[in-house]
Amino acid sequence: MNNIRSEKVASWFFLSPILFIHFFVIAFPSILSLALCFTDWNGFGKIQFIGFQNFQELFSDRVFKKAVWHNLIWTIFFLTVPIAVALLGAFVLTGVKRFQLLYRFIFFFPYILASVVNCLIWKYLFHPKYGLNTFFDDLGITFFENSLLTQKETSLLAVGFVDAWHFWGFLVVIYITAMYQVDESLYEAAEIEGASKWQKFRYVTFPSIRPMFVFSILIIMIWSVPAFDYVYILTGGGPAYSSEVLANYLHFQAFRNMNVGYASAIGALMFVYVFIITGLFGLLRKLDWEI
Amino acid sequence: MFIPKLTTLAIVSTLATASIPAIGYAKTVVTWWNYSNEGSGLNAALTEDIQDAFNASQDEIELKIFFKGEDVNEPTRTALLAGAGPDIITSSGSTYVRAYYDGGFLKSLEPYSQKYGWKDKILPWAYNLGVFGNEFYSFPQNYESMIYFYNKTLFEENGWELPTNLNEYESLAQKAKEQNIFPFAYGSSGWQPTHEHLVGNYFNTYAGPDNVYKALIGEKKWTDKEFVDALELLKKHMLDGYWSGSLEKYYANDWDGFSAQITNREAAMMQIGTWGFEIMEGFADKKDDWGWSPLPVLSDFAGNPNYQLSIGGTMSINAASKHPDAAAKVLNWIISDKNRVLEFTAKRNYGEWLLPLKFETSDFSGSVDQRIRDYLVDFAAVTGAGDYGYTTWTFYPSQAGTHIWKDMESVWANDISVSEFLEEQQALWDKARAANELIPVGER
Repeated sequence: MNNIRSEKVASWFFLSPILFIHFFVIAFPSILSLALCFTDWNGFGKIQFIGFQNFQELFSDRVFKKAVWHNLIWTIFFLTVPIAVALLGAFVLTGVKRFQLLYRFIFFFPYILASVVNCLIWKYLFHPKYGLNTFFDDLGITFFENSLLTQKETSLLAVGFVDAWHFWGFLVVIYITAMYQVDESLYEAAEIEGASKWQKFRYVTFPSIRPMFVFSILIIMIWSVPAFDYVYILTGGGPAYSSEVLANYLHFQAFRNMNVGYASAIGALMFVYVFIITGLFGLLRKLDWEI
Repeated sequence: MFIPKLTTLAIVSTLATASIPAIGYAKTVVTWWNYSNEGSGLNAALTEDIQDAFNASQDEIELKIFFKGEDVNEPTRTALLAGAGPDIITSSGSTYVRAYYDGGFLKSLEPYSQKYGWKDKILPWAYNLGVFGNEFYSFPQNYESMIYFYNKTLFEENGWELPTNLNEYESLAQKAKEQNIFPFAYGSSGWQPTHEHLVGNYFNTYAGPDNVYKALIGEKKWTDKEFVDALELLKKHMLDGYWSGSLEKYYANDWDGFSAQITNREAAMMQIGTWGFEIMEGFADKKDDWGWSPLPVLSDFAGNPNYQLSIGGTMSINAASKHPDAAAKVLNWIISDKNRVLEFTAKRNYGEWLLPLKFETSDFSGSVDQRIRDYLVDFAAVTGAGDYGYTTWTFYPSQAGTHIWKDMESVWANDISVSEFLEEQQALWDKARAANELIPVGER
């Protein structure tokens, strides 16, 4: 009995440094931030309690509504394009015998580059005067005549493309890791049954990597909410809010508009969304879903 | 016996040695946080010409300038909230000073202003921008205005004249476009608030500074016809490709891009702040020559050509400073010598550190570019005669100030109308006025 008790004490003792840091660096500021969403604080002066006014204003704010919609598009885009490309890339790579490490490095390389570097590369490539346009214009293709980042019809997806270009290498690595753990005998059995490559992927590979696949969906759904750096660097949310997303709008309200209370309200709603998503996945896991 | 004596001697000599620096360096340390711009050489110039020069000029105070990245406002805000921060606070402009003042983070400079006679040295409009509750709290680090730059050689070759009214303005733009030359070089890539320069120009040259003043002090609404017409005109010109050929290309164009446009004959003119003098250096290795002029007025009711008042950067003393008197001495050293100010701002191409002092022609050395000298003297004379307008980034409260550039894109994209845009502006002004968050304007 004493041993059990002392083990429990020891475990709390070893956990205490990280709990201490977590409380003061994450939990306490988060609680404070939640409290700020009921105030009109500008980041400097007196804090005045204004109840739910920030939330009332948010629900009639045309930019906030746009940002919510764009985050939804962003999430759907990342749940489809990078995942499809990464699944294909990982599956193809598992069959490659020579220079596989080199290919893996090439795919993963954009992920280790700083977002600022990635953005500058693509900003330059999209530039009508210096970038892809100079090449395609000679071929009579005018698609890049204007930067995709400066047209309201294309800016959001252009930013998403650049972000996905850096992100999909990460997905390839986690999928390929999962694929290497698939029991080889399953492929041998499929081979004997005369399964095609697609059938092997559909009936052997994919079911075997499902936990990792669902995990990737979970992290994409969560990471899509605070998507910020690529939007901030490439377009600033423009033109005309056409690439505005919640995190960039939050940053704008807090640091440009000096409207910290309002920004906190946006942050609170983002938190609620993430809380629901993680709760949902937790619930499914409790219901014995293999995720 | 010998050893204890030796030990005593060693202790005494150690203490004596340790006390020498304490006596020799009993200087009051004054700290100053500034934004950083390594690329343009600002850090080295400030360190050498301000910090080191001040420290060499006296032996009571040691000035230490710390560079806090491109945006000094963020670390300053965090430090001030924590009751810390430097003795000398710098900020990007009036909006921050207003917020710092409201938060009680600034020490009143009124006693120092009276002691050192700052009110007589600083241009009145610039001085008034630092007055809150009848006391002086900040003085501008720099002043700017919006002017025209143009390729003089190109104009002479084509027989073009600078426009003096709307007809001439549009006619000249058409002539330039017919020759595949953009009427104006400009772009907003890298600095989205660039749009507010254009909005301010059209407000002050079409609606006119008297109307802008009335709107600033609440005697007029931003939704009034003059402002609606001004922004409709700007929208028409923007969508006609006056700036860099098209709205999309204007959005894609950055500082280097539009600098190249004006010096390489891709564009005929540029309406930009006086920091554009730096760009004109690009003509040095070209055959073309450049010129400047005030912005033309575009309506019958806009009054005379005017210079828009603007400050870029402010300096104040931290209310939590332990050495405010020493900090005030530093500030006084900076503004007390016009020649030193002019020498330093010349090194920064008159785009930075042009303190709004009462310059006269005799203050300039022969080496100063005559065009720059003419501007500085003309600015003082014209604004002294009351012909001045107002920039949005100096006189607008925080949220109205960001809305003016951020949401202008929505107007150009036809997402909202000019009237809807100005209704939102008016609502933000009403909110700021009710919360007493306005920037001091000074009587016109």
